[in-house]
Amino acid sequence: MSRCGLRIVPCALCLVLAACGREARPFDNIPSATANATTPALVQLYAGGVPTGPPPVSPFQQNAWGISEGKRLFDAYNCSGCHAHGGGGIGPALMDDAWIYGNHPANIFETIVEGRPNGMPSFRGKIPDTQVWQLVAFVQSMNGQAPIAALPGRSDHLSGGTPENLRPAVKPVQTGHQ
Amino acid sequence: MTTDETQLRQELERTWAVPRGIIGWFSIVDHRTIGRRYLVTAFVFFGIAGLLAAAMRVQLAWPDSRFMGPDRYNQVFTVHGTAMMFLFAVPVMEGMGVYLVPLMIGTRNIAFPRLNTFSYFVYLFGGITLFAALATNTGPDVGWFSYVPLAGPDYSPGKRADFWAQLITFTEVAALAVAVELVATIFKTRAPGMSLNRIPLFVWSMLVMSFMIIFAMPAVVTSSSFLLLDRLVGTHFYNPAEGGDTLLWQHLFWFFGHPEVYIIFVPALGMVSAIITAFTSRPIFGYTAMVLALVATGFIGFGLWVHHMFATGLPQLGLTYFTAASMIISIPSGVQIFCWIASLWRGRPRFETPLLFALGFIAIFVLGGLSGVTLASVPFDLQVHDTYYVVAHFHYVLLGGAVFPLIGGIYFWFPKITGRMMDDRIGRWSFWTLFIGFNVTFFPMHFLGLMGMPRRVYTYPATMGWGMLNLISSIGAIALVAGGVLLVYNVVRSAAWGVEAGDNPWGADSLEWGTSSPPPVYNFLHIPVVEGRHALWARSEDAPIVTGIRSDTREVLITDVMDAEPSNKADYPNPTIWPFVTAVVTSAFFVGSIFTPWALPVSLPPLTVALVGWFWPKRSDLHTGEERPPALSEARA
Repeated sequence: MSRCGLRIVPCALCLVLAACGREARPFDNIPSATANATTPALVQLYAGGVPTGPPPVSPFQQNAWGISEGKRLFDAYNCSGCHAHGGGGIGPALMDDAWIYGNHPANIFETIVEGRPNGMPSFRGKIPDTQVWQLVAFVQSMNGQAPIAALPGRSDHLSGGTPENLRPAVKPVQTGHQ
Repeated sequence: MTTDETQLRQELERTWAVPRGIIGWFSIVDHRTIGRRYLVTAFVFFGIAGLLAAAMRVQLAWPDSRFMGPDRYNQVFTVHGTAMMFLFAVPVMEGMGVYLVPLMIGTRNIAFPRLNTFSYFVYLFGGITLFAALATNTGPDVGWFSYVPLAGPDYSPGKRADFWAQLITFTEVAALAVAVELVATIFKTRAPGMSLNRIPLFVWSMLVMSFMIIFAMPAVVTSSSFLLLDRLVGTHFYNPAEGGDTLLWQHLFWFFGHPEVYIIFVPALGMVSAIITAFTSRPIFGYTAMVLALVATGFIGFGLWVHHMFATGLPQLGLTYFTAASMIISIPSGVQIFCWIASLWRGRPRFETPLLFALGFIAIFVLGGLSGVTLASVPFDLQVHDTYYVVAHFHYVLLGGAVFPLIGGIYFWFPKITGRMMDDRIGRWSFWTLFIGFNVTFFPMHFLGLMGMPRRVYTYPATMGWGMLNLISSIGAIALVAGGVLLVYNVVRSAAWGVEAGDNPWGADSLEWGTSSPPPVYNFLHIPVVEGRHALWARSEDAPIVTGIRSDTREVLITDVMDAEPSNKADYPNPTIWPFVTAVVTSAFFVGSIFTPWALPVSLPPLTVALVGWFWPKRSDLHTGEERPPALSEARA
């Protein structure tokens, strides 16, 4: 058995590096619901702008649980009311490659917290920061901007289209307003 | 020994030789080696799963403990249960069968030897995969039976549940392979004269177990495959909104899951019969009733599965039927218990360690069976479903009903496998430590369940009043660990320095005790002709033997199913690396398909190559030129 074990070590290393981030469930590290700070945003992002300093990254970028929570919150906070399940409606589609305000996680965070022109409300003070980051991770996963092993599968509802883990990854393009 | 016999022995040793070297280690197709590997690997997994249980008991010993967080605890209890049921309980019984059955029925190897080797490596890789997943925080966390929708894509993000589902595939492929081999071996390769009513009760239990595996395992492979497809490919087998059904999972799983516990239990019954026969030096009372009880347990065991689903809102008629069936199954088990008690009563039992474990089994299993019959009653079950009462019940029947006989069997057959006796004094200490530790650990859980403590909770508040019983249970667990350590110490010490055992240190009756300890690579110098139900006790002075089987190739005698009349001869394969290669490719396919459906088309070419290598006919398989020996005759030894 020891000989077989030696062969598994290189494979296990790959698993370790990928799995630690994907499978973490940071239940204990989530602060209880706190309102967003009313201080100005940490990054100076605007449509087409240049970020100053390194912009914050979602802690749930590659985290399967975080993306799954984002999927749950997407319906819970009625994001699907305007964006459907990524196809858009009143709001723009989120599962295509066109990103009006950029697809970096900090851009999407800003979109949710600050709101955007033409109808995107500001959710500052209504959604805690941690949950915003989970929503960010989920929105990014909608067009495959997440490791495929972390993507959600089909949901336990009426089928709303291709599950996230079966969608082809698209190359995001910043379009600005059309 | 005559010069003829010396020459025969040398020829057989050459023909049946076990290959050496690294490549040789992977090429062995000999049932004793594979059986030993199964046993060692299963006990390693048992130890790891036992440590996980110890961690659980530490966590639960006092209220509001933070020794483990909830996520870690979920993984620990799931992997504990999964590893115990799939990586220990069934494989260890199979391992005992793979080692002992060909010896008990008087043949030189198990049927389909290359499949046997393949099954071991698939099992080994499956176990390594599961524990590698646990080590990388990807251990399944959905309970050992992984209900949907908790295990579905919505509520189990990541790959944890997929590792669980593929572990099922690994272990079920291995188990099905061994089951098929055992049925073929038991039906078709027995020594002449060993008609079906003369086979040892252990062999009967292996036969019943194998048939149960063949009928039950496909259900769980189906259910886990559906789960994998739902998660990976977006099917809707378990999605009610799209026409699937969450209860489908429960039915498919428990249609396997209930026979699974009898698959684990039935071989243990066979071991107890073997032990009691040897230590009373008398035939077991009521052989026919014992056989019928085994078969009845196997059949009725398929009609009980819904008792795991009493709380799901089933129709009244279903509840009634499954309550009745769940109570009826206690009858064959009861018959067996009474037959053993009668055997002990009439004989003069020698209370050595194996018999102590058999007696411990009777005590503990009867208690577990009683709590089981109470659980069969729906109104009571609705009160204690998913509480620690159920945990207490199944640990009583599993540890008492399977592990105690297994340990007794280890003490019993260790001299045959290694040629040395285990230390009886340490054996007694280990028995009493395990017996007392087991009861101190699990008896309080009955009360905890009645007090309402649910299963699978990682902690509980102090105000519930469960603290004292949990603490007692955890202290008992210390004794269990100590007993396990004593057992391992005994095994290791005896393997190195134990007293040498002769062929038949216990004076037992079955054929494996009629050859040397450990057996030679060819099992028996002469295949015996069996003259009675207890082969060694019935053997006369000038007992007949089988002649006419070639000793320069791996030729084996095939006999009839019912009366073991010789019918023809078969060629068994020589050592070969291809089963191992096939196992590697198969395992890579299974692990790959956790992550991507492309694993299937990518694996098919190497799998084809491996199977072609496996089945490629060898020049030595062709018998060119020389005539085969005439029909075999029964010469006198």
